Amino acid sequence: MMANQGALHWMRRNLFSTPFNSILTLLSVTALVALIIPLLQWAVFDAAWRGTDPESCRVASGACWPFVRVRFDQFMYGLYPLAERWRVDLGVGVGFLLAGMMLWPRFPGKFWIGLSLLTVYPVAAIILFGGGLFGLVPVSTNAWGGFFLTLVVSTFVLTLSLPFGVLLALGRQSKLPLVRFLAVGWIEFWRAVPVLVLLFVVIIMFPLFMPPGFEVDKLLRALIALTILMSCYIAEAVRGALQSLPRGQYEAAEALGLSYPQAMLRVILPQALTLSVPQITSIFIGLFKETTVLLIIGFFDLLGMVQTASTDPRWMSASTVATGYLFAALFFWVCCFAMSRYSARLETKYRQTR
Amino acid sequence: MSQSGVPSSRLARKIRDLLPQMLIMLGVALLVYFVVVTTRENLAQLGVQSGFEFLHKEAGFAIAQTLIPYTEGSSILRAFCVALLNTLLLAVVSIGLASLFGLGIGIMRLSSNWLVAKLGLIYVEIFRNIPVLLQIFFWYFVVLRSLPGFADSFTFAGFVLNNRGLYFPTLQIDDWSALFSGGWHLVVPHPGRFEYEGGFALMPEFLALALGLSMYNASYIGEITRSGFLAVARGQYEAASALGLSGYVIFRRITFPQALRVMIPPLSTVYMNIFKATSLAAAIAYPDIVSVFVGTVNNLVGQPIEIMLLTLATYAAVSFAIAWAMNSYNRRIQIQERGE
Repeated sequence: MMANQGALHWMRRNLFSTPFNSILTLLSVTALVALIIPLLQWAVFDAAWRGTDPESCRVASGACWPFVRVRFDQFMYGLYPLAERWRVDLGVGVGFLLAGMMLWPRFPGKFWIGLSLLTVYPVAAIILFGGGLFGLVPVSTNAWGGFFLTLVVSTFVLTLSLPFGVLLALGRQSKLPLVRFLAVGWIEFWRAVPVLVLLFVVIIMFPLFMPPGFEVDKLLRALIALTILMSCYIAEAVRGALQSLPRGQYEAAEALGLSYPQAMLRVILPQALTLSVPQITSIFIGLFKETTVLLIIGFFDLLGMVQTASTDPRWMSASTVATGYLFAALFFWVCCFAMSRYSARLETKYRQTR
Repeated sequence: MSQSGVPSSRLARKIRDLLPQMLIMLGVALLVYFVVVTTRENLAQLGVQSGFEFLHKEAGFAIAQTLIPYTEGSSILRAFCVALLNTLLLAVVSIGLASLFGLGIGIMRLSSNWLVAKLGLIYVEIFRNIPVLLQIFFWYFVVLRSLPGFADSFTFAGFVLNNRGLYFPTLQIDDWSALFSGGWHLVVPHPGRFEYEGGFALMPEFLALALGLSMYNASYIGEITRSGFLAVARGQYEAASALGLSGYVIFRRITFPQALRVMIPPLSTVYMNIFKATSLAAAIAYPDIVSVFVGTVNNLVGQPIEIMLLTLATYAAVSFAIAWAMNSYNRRIQIQERGE
């Protein structure tokens, strides 16, 4: 009885406080019902759930989930050979394990885990995924695809852009005018250019810059392009953090007689990098979403795989395409939402400790 | 930055700083020299021409949407202008729609109505966390593909919508000197043999891009709007209500202008992002700079260096123009302190 009264009171205060608010509430409820009911009807109640062939979708008027089930492995691994997929599982699994240790509060030995994540792990993972060494069957990067490619591209680009981004940020803060000029010009120019154009530039022009006979893998070229761009964005995040450090930190480091590299490595950067973690996380979320543009230049990331699969004539229908997009959207949404929650939590934590 | 701890004279410091800068300059110059020489060798080996003469050649290809007169006989330079205008049209429409939606979402999030505020939050969290390319594909391959065909088009007050696009009535000016005495007439789209004719048509690719870009970026603008209004001191609103001003006047004259001051810098970033994201047009073949110039023209002429340089310069120029315009607007509306 009390709870009921509480709910009524709450509704009167928050939903029906004025006539105008009551109209708004009714309109919102109508809009919500008009959107959600057909969506649920299509995605759940009228959907085909069982079966593994296109025929099972023809009888249903809603979504075509068997399409996602049949193609699921391709959405995850792309065209990576079936017999070698354990390498992807192993590499990605170890990466998640290490990253989990890093994100876990108060996990021991974070410095060494972080260092190996930035140095040993990428090299080991590339060898494991690409093969050709230690008796591993070579797997061409053309076969890399699906969510695996999204993960590889976003994590490698982040790892590569962190050091370059820090260097660019320091360059922008440098006392040497030439260094400052070059860093500002570089950062501002690339930030003014679309990622897709930069990808085309590097993929088409890079081979022309190189001596004849020197070939760079197309995926590596795409990684270089994304790294150029991401390091500029990270540089801006780090610069913001550098500027927000109290002037006394720089002066104290200098007063202790520390050299420039010592002051940066031991006093300034550890603080600045910690401060810029939330912003770097949101840059990473942007990068994670941005990897989808790779499909325009001929790679098959998660969205690219869905796109190709939905043009398969056996499955082709409006509801199959829509189901594929819904699956990809849910997948991306869960990843990005989780990361943005994590970043928001860190931000409140820093604000409390400062 | 004195390393030894011994205070050095200004001159000595300048000389010491000169050395690393000269080394860096030398390094950059060497790198540029190396790249230019190898590129020239490679191009000579491939037999690629250089220079911008190709811009005056005949284009010889059609473009699906042209805002200025263009035929297959026009020059490549003209094709470039057509593509640039298509990009700019998409950017302007997307920025306008995103601002409108975003303002609405931001105000919803601040509503005292719990449900309305939550709906705003849900919108932001859904649209911000899904890649914009996926949203564009959704509009293009799912929503716009399921629109009715030519025969069953939706028509409303001269507007026509079907799976070929959105058709507008346009104003045709016949005689500029008689502008106010009937020197114009309205061209309303009417059914032709295969599609609607007359008026102005926006192709489905344009609609999908404009919808995708504006709804995705509206989530960011919504958050910017919200924090802008939250930054306006509560007393401002209270003082205005105490003066007996109506809700609309308070919004229009008191809270919105002050919120705008906080909103402009982050808005300028979003506007630049929207402009840059128009290049995603290449994914569904809307004839923007990337698909026409980097795609078609590059395949035709095969002069990647010139084409890429021109594309980079164009995007950088427009981005800087947006940043500059937003900056000067920002400077104009900031509070002018005494003595400034």
